[in-house]
Amino acid sequence: MTANTEPGYRIVVGYTADDSGADALALGARVAGATEASLEVVMVLPIEARGGVVPRDPGHERRVKEQAQAWLAEASAGLGGDVEQALHIRYADSFAEGLVAAAHEFGARLVVVGPARGGLFGRTRIGSVASELLHSADVPVALAPVGARKLPVAAGLTRVTAAVGGTPGVVLEASVALARRAHAPLRLLSLVPIDLPAGVDTGLVNLTSTVAAEQALEGARRELPDGVEASAVVATGQTIEESVGALDWEPGELVLVGSSRLAAPSRLFLGGTATKMLRELPVPLIVVPRAAQTP
Amino acid sequence: MTHDPANQHLAHEAHSQPHAPNVPLTTASATVDGGDPGLSKKGLSAGSVGLIGAIVIGISCIAPAYTLTGALGPTVAEVGTQLPAIFLIGFIPMLLVAFGYRELNSAMPDSGTSFTWATRAFGPWVGWMAGWGLIAATVVVLSNLAGIAVEFFYLAVSQVVGFFGGDAEAVAGLVRNPFVNVITCLAFILGATLISYRDMQTTQKLQYWLVGFQLLVMIGFGVAAFWHVANGTAFDATPVELSWFNPLEVGSFSAIVAGLSVSLFVFWGWDVTLTMNEETKGSNSTPGRAATLTVTIVVAIYLFVAMGALAFAGLGSTDVGLGNPEIQENAFYYLAGPILGPLALVMSIAVLSSSASSLQSTFVSPARTLLAMGHYGALPRKFSKVSPRFFTPGYATVVSAIVAAVFYTVMRFISEDVLWDTITTLGMMICFYYGLTAFACVWYFRKTWFRGGRNLFFRLIAPFVGGAILAVLFFTTLIDSMDPAYGSGSNIGGVGLVFILGVVILLAGVVVMIWQRIKRPEFFRSEHLARGVADRDS
Repeated sequence: MTANTEPGYRIVVGYTADDSGADALALGARVAGATEASLEVVMVLPIEARGGVVPRDPGHERRVKEQAQAWLAEASAGLGGDVEQALHIRYADSFAEGLVAAAHEFGARLVVVGPARGGLFGRTRIGSVASELLHSADVPVALAPVGARKLPVAAGLTRVTAAVGGTPGVVLEASVALARRAHAPLRLLSLVPIDLPAGVDTGLVNLTSTVAAEQALEGARRELPDGVEASAVVATGQTIEESVGALDWEPGELVLVGSSRLAAPSRLFLGGTATKMLRELPVPLIVVPRAAQTP
Repeated sequence: MTHDPANQHLAHEAHSQPHAPNVPLTTASATVDGGDPGLSKKGLSAGSVGLIGAIVIGISCIAPAYTLTGALGPTVAEVGTQLPAIFLIGFIPMLLVAFGYRELNSAMPDSGTSFTWATRAFGPWVGWMAGWGLIAATVVVLSNLAGIAVEFFYLAVSQVVGFFGGDAEAVAGLVRNPFVNVITCLAFILGATLISYRDMQTTQKLQYWLVGFQLLVMIGFGVAAFWHVANGTAFDATPVELSWFNPLEVGSFSAIVAGLSVSLFVFWGWDVTLTMNEETKGSNSTPGRAATLTVTIVVAIYLFVAMGALAFAGLGSTDVGLGNPEIQENAFYYLAGPILGPLALVMSIAVLSSSASSLQSTFVSPARTLLAMGHYGALPRKFSKVSPRFFTPGYATVVSAIVAAVFYTVMRFISEDVLWDTITTLGMMICFYYGLTAFACVWYFRKTWFRGGRNLFFRLIAPFVGGAILAVLFFTTLIDSMDPAYGSGSNIGGVGLVFILGVVILLAGVVVMIWQRIKRPEFFRSEHLARGVADRDS
């Protein structure tokens, strides 16, 4: 809610000059366009002297930097002039570390990264970058699915889905704020962990978990601020993957989940349920740290 | 990976943007833009390696445990007990050329190094061949490195197997099977390629330990050798004499040249400590000190270990005598057991870790040179491709790896003394491209020679004398190596294998160059990289 009044709403895109980076950039641009945010496109180059073996080579560093500048310029030209944007080159020990530092530097409310290569069947796999980022970021992180680059910026944000589990708190708050900024409808999704050891009576489990899911939705509804409309859906299925696959998804949709309860306060960490969701989800996922800013 | 919050204050600078004029571009300067007045804290932390760090990198690049095991035998074969003298003399041309290298590097920092500098000084043809010489030298050393690593890998495994009561002999014997040997070597090269491609680097902290360990093991090796001599348990106790330091006792000029040409290799890589320090702008005393300390440590270790090995094993031609051709191409492999006894495993680990760091640093250099050559249009554009994820010269790295792998495989089957022959060939290639680089320095700075004593020495005298010594070494080696008995005695049809290798490598360079001249005439018309001459003092 505070997001609307804040002047500089910024989104950091972790860019690489490949398909994964294009996915991240397209998603970042789409969210930025829909929320009138400005885009900070960041390329993170490795710090040369971080190792103890290979001597630095300023000539090579300069060449890599020029290449990075050319790549950024190309990416920027591809975006067109509709989105407010700035290009940056930063140095860090790792991509994730550079992005977290950039998010702090720009006061960004969202960091967007692309999928790891090798995701099967067009679904998203968590790569080492996203994984490191999810363990260290204190701002929401958006994971672009494979192929996000094919969706035009004009597609906008057609729906914001909040995945509410036992404790809706920050996810709900973040989703409400994002939906409001983007003038997009809000949907509440209840997923209750149903992965149980084999041999347990599935009928009984389905019954209890459906009841729990309904309860979680009710809880989330009660927490909605006055005047905010939201549709609601309960995902059912034998497994999380199955339930996620059975739901309807709009191409321009975004899903928000909270980070794991195991994560340190204000740090992201993707829980088991969210990891399984991500595998099936055809749309981007935003992971919101517990007790942190809203995207 | 530590993250220092104090380093988060970044300095920014605006850059003009050719494609999208309205989009601002900022870069955190990590001392990339040399001479940047607003050097940020982040930049300094990225750039300064400090005195100890510089020494560690220098020693890692020289990789004393690896180079000594490879060079000890071939040098002894040429100069006998005058090994210490030859090691000391071998340093002189390397030092002189390194001075020229440093001058060029500060005037024209470029990842193409010898290629770029020779092109600027002498034009595209000479420059192209200098680049080729550098790439050939590094590819040859890559195959030698991997070969040494294979031998010590099986030695280490056999030592572990023997410790647990297994059949150590059988494991150690695997290395003699050319197929097992080649496959293991290819696996090592593949591993090194992946590491290089993905830019995974050993952290400074780990490298400190590895280098410390390496030095400790070598000192321990020398001490143990002398202890055996004093105890009367040495294989062939040979008293240390002052004549070991007298090169005139070697006998023939040819033998001195052959010894020097091998000993160049033991100091190869040291020059990085000189150039590396150009970046530590904060302190002007670090450069010289790091380089001096590195070379002092390395020379002391070389002399101590070489003398220990000579005193322990003598020059006999049987068993572990250093005169035995069987053991000459990988001396520590055979000496570690007799000298260190049950602790021989630590020597294997020291050589392996030394080879591993040398593989890491060596891989970078041909790939970056190929990248520069691609960039300036001297080779296909593909070579200038930088990996979008790892920012390494991806294509060039893979090509270097494939060539090194093929080279090793072919050599393993045509030569009985692969490691020896590759070291000797390497010596010749080092003479070739270091020599050209030295002369490039002299010529490029010709207008500034007489502007002060500093210039006179570092831009004319030092590189010229160094280059001249290397030129003499190059041509003498080339002529002498025609003799089928030269070096290891490998030959094809009565012509020394080292000669054939040297000529084939250089002629292949000429052929590829002419082919590129036809395909890419722009470079050879100096359109991308023009000849030039320095007219400023520094």
